Amino acid sequence: MGGLQKKKFERGSATNYITRNKARKKLQLSLPDFRRLCILKGIYPHEPKHKKKVNKGSTAQRTFYMLKDIRFLMHEPIVGKFRDYKVFVRKLKKAYGKTEWSAVERLRENKPTYKLDHIIKERYPAFIDALRDIDDALCMCFLFSTFARTGKCHVQTIQLCRRLTVEWMNFVIASRGLRKVFLSIKGIYYQAEVMGQLITWLVPYQFAHDHPTDVDYRVMATFTELYTTLLGFVNFRLYHSLNLLYPPKLDGKAMSELKEEDEDDYAMNSECYLEKLSALSASLSRVVSATEEEDAELDQFPVEGEDTEKMEAREREQKQQEAQKKLFEGLKFYLNREVPRESLAFVIRCFGGEVSWDKSVCIGSKYEVTDETITHHIVDRPNVDKQYINRYYIQPQWVYDCVNAKIRLPVEDYFLGVTLPPHLSPFVEEKEGDYVPPEKLKIMALQRGEKPANEQEEDEEEEEDDDEDDEEEEEEEEDDGGNDEEEETEEQNLKTMQEQSSQGKSLQVKVTPGKVTVENKARLEQEEKAEEKRLAIMMMKRKEKYLFDKIMFGKKRKIREANKLAAKRKAHDDAEKSKKKKARK
Amino acid sequence: MAAAKRLKRVAASQPGFLNLKTTLDSVDSSSSRRKRVNKNKKKNWNKHSDINDVEDFLEDVRHQERTTGGLLSEKSDDSLFFLDVGKPEKAEQKEEVVVGKKRRGKTSRPLRIDLILQHDSLVPPAKDVLAYQQPNAKKLRRIAQKAEQLAAKGIVTRRQKRLANRQPLDRKAKKSVTEANNNPARDYYDIWGQESKDSSDPWYLQQTGKKLVKRPEKLNDKPSVLPAVEVIAPGGSYNPDFFSHQALLQEAHAVEVQKQKEEDRIERQLAVNQDDKATEDTILKEQVEGLVVEENDEETAPNEEEDDVAVGAIVLAEKKTERQRKREKADKMKEQQRHSERQQINQQQQLFQLRSIKASIKQQEEKTNQKQKLRKANQEAQKSQPRRLGKLKFKPQDLEVQLSNELAGSLRRLKPEGSVLKDRFKSLQKRNLIEPRERAKFKRRHKLKYVEKRAFREIT
Repeated sequence: MGGLQKKKFERGSATNYITRNKARKKLQLSLPDFRRLCILKGIYPHEPKHKKKVNKGSTAQRTFYMLKDIRFLMHEPIVGKFRDYKVFVRKLKKAYGKTEWSAVERLRENKPTYKLDHIIKERYPAFIDALRDIDDALCMCFLFSTFARTGKCHVQTIQLCRRLTVEWMNFVIASRGLRKVFLSIKGIYYQAEVMGQLITWLVPYQFAHDHPTDVDYRVMATFTELYTTLLGFVNFRLYHSLNLLYPPKLDGKAMSELKEEDEDDYAMNSECYLEKLSALSASLSRVVSATEEEDAELDQFPVEGEDTEKMEAREREQKQQEAQKKLFEGLKFYLNREVPRESLAFVIRCFGGEVSWDKSVCIGSKYEVTDETITHHIVDRPNVDKQYINRYYIQPQWVYDCVNAKIRLPVEDYFLGVTLPPHLSPFVEEKEGDYVPPEKLKIMALQRGEKPANEQEEDEEEEEDDDEDDEEEEEEEEDDGGNDEEEETEEQNLKTMQEQSSQGKSLQVKVTPGKVTVENKARLEQEEKAEEKRLAIMMMKRKEKYLFDKIMFGKKRKIREANKLAAKRKAHDDAEKSKKKKARK
Repeated sequence: MAAAKRLKRVAASQPGFLNLKTTLDSVDSSSSRRKRVNKNKKKNWNKHSDINDVEDFLEDVRHQERTTGGLLSEKSDDSLFFLDVGKPEKAEQKEEVVVGKKRRGKTSRPLRIDLILQHDSLVPPAKDVLAYQQPNAKKLRRIAQKAEQLAAKGIVTRRQKRLANRQPLDRKAKKSVTEANNNPARDYYDIWGQESKDSSDPWYLQQTGKKLVKRPEKLNDKPSVLPAVEVIAPGGSYNPDFFSHQALLQEAHAVEVQKQKEEDRIERQLAVNQDDKATEDTILKEQVEGLVVEENDEETAPNEEEDDVAVGAIVLAEKKTERQRKREKADKMKEQQRHSERQQINQQQQLFQLRSIKASIKQQEEKTNQKQKLRKANQEAQKSQPRRLGKLKFKPQDLEVQLSNELAGSLRRLKPEGSVLKDRFKSLQKRNLIEPRERAKFKRRHKLKYVEKRAFREIT
């Protein structure tokens, strides 16, 4: 054999990785600076597959980076800036120590700063890349913009975040892009569609801050630094895609409307404009003066077969979206002072509604409470002293539920003092056979255009008298079984009757007029189809049959589980009802 | 001036004049012998007449004027002396009280310290001539006159023209360089629209380190497949559906149970073993240890000795005979032959087992396929898991959940749960963007020293 002896850890994975400390030394940076650089450049630690090999035989847990990444970092011009900054701090300290104030001033003036523009361009070579990554940026900016202006982070950063988020919200309003809203206990989730991308972000409730101690603020601030730059450039591009002016300018007409004598009470002159923008009540001015955009219609292509179905589905979706965009058009809202103004104003304006509030709540209110044309007054307290007849007084959840349901829901469930229906998450998409809560079923029925008259009657009846309970149960069961075949329901009916008789209740024996059984064409067709399916199943090979049975079994199990949940729910509802009744008595 | 001087001299020659310096008198007495000098020449007058006394006198006068503001002899007695009548006691205090009431109006009275420092000499301070003079006054006046003349004529000089044409200093350009990154009024531009301006030579840029290095494609991959924003479960709605709320509670409950289990396990491991505890029996045994001689010991002792003897012997093998060797060789050969024959038969038989062999191979392949699939699925699942990136493992944050009685009926009464900041931070960790870390603990470099203060020690 012969040859030189191979040394350990000089080839293979050991040479591909580098520990954090070594990387830091290689770049001649302090740990905070190194961490900041990595975050800005998008270089993340890596877990090697064989740690022991990489770690030169030691099994200690370490943070590793790819050596190539670190080599790439060495070319970054910002590294030089970091070093400059270190020197700057040292000089400043010295000047302070010697109480040389002129030197301090001079140093301050020449404080080394850096820009992240080239990093943005490098990390997101195309606009669409940036848009895909904007979720994080939005979350962070919205979060930082709600921070109190204490010493936790730079006031300037907070101001910048506020400005950017306001710009973003104004853009979403202008583009009518909002799709879903979800009020959670954590914060408010929004989802918007921007240039075909679904973008989700989380906004904390106002004034809901406790500062957790186990969060590294420096890291978060660094991320924010990057994301503010990114969001700014994205905003610029988005505004220009809609022919809006950037930085945003309020519409001339709206501007004059908003002009008030007592503006100075709200904000200083320098802040006034941003405040007005953030009020979200006025529309923005465009480069090409407001031409009514004609709705671009989907191009029609001659297609065949299955594609036509897809096309139709897409068209339907498109139509639905168009309808959703105009959800609140023509409605005039007035926000009482106890409701979250910004969120509601944002949502309402996103769907074309007009919104105003009390003058003392915020700048930019458009009309007073006394305006007769207001259609909806949003209140979140048990009762209101003075009520106008020609408007609905509703709770804020109505607005959000309407957005999620994509239709205007009946307002009755949301009147003052009424126990609200649950606020369902729009981010859950049920598959076939999953359990669907009855509230959602109701909404789905409404979307299909059916009237929920049945249930309303039910409620009324129940309030009137309790004796008809049995009948109602029957009715409800029929409702539930509506999806299944009729035979099953009949069977169930029989069963219930039997049970009742066994319990000793008198059967309701009636003579009902006979019905002519009408030959239903659709029904015949269905039967035919079912027959065909049965035959196809019979013709299957043994192997396929086995697979098919397995699938069907799985489906059935799912349905069974869903039914179980539904039954549970019913029991729960009944219990609640009886409780209520007792309470009433 | 001369008249004034004379007057002073006259005043000084009078018998009532006081000298400020007392040394003057002693000078006169120390003259020994007079020198004879001709006084018929003016030169000698100057040389030999003694004018010291006059000069000293004049010096003294000037001194008095400088320091006391006039000749002491001319001052009234009241300004120089006062009658010492002991302490001015209560009378004055009362007066002050009276004054104190009026004090508020009397802000204009100068401070005593200013009075002391007031300039009271009669000699005026020397005049600073330069303060009234302007250097080059004549020249400047001439230039101004000329400029006026030219302006009247409407002529603009070349110098003025050049001044007017000079470009204003571009201060803004320098400022934009130093603008901070988080300046709230910073402006943005279309970063994706414009192509980078490659005006200069790429070779030059590369050599001078001004060219940006291309980012490797691989760095644009995300380290985790998880979405940036994970929406909370439907049970986390502020007004949740009953079942989804229950489901969320169940989930949170499971987490808590797991935690409790872990805790219990540790507790159990730490608990004292019941067998290790001292009972009365063992205590007694310990106390009696060595007092009672047991018989068993005697019996076991001799056995051990026998064993020791057996270890020492070595068994020698006997030598094989020639015959034995030959037989062994033949046996070996036979065995080998049988073995090879057996193998051949087996191989021939395998021809008839082809089907079963095929089946077994198929089975094996299926097995490996399944394993591959499983491994792939595992790898996929691993992608969404947080990796181990440092000393600490990722710890998911506590589930945000509100109990049924904490749920608010309306948006107004909602109490937000958890913190969005923490949620974001944990999300970054979960997506492997940053490694989980602990807050650095404060470490004292030197130990604290406690010393009782003496005052405190005296009391105790």
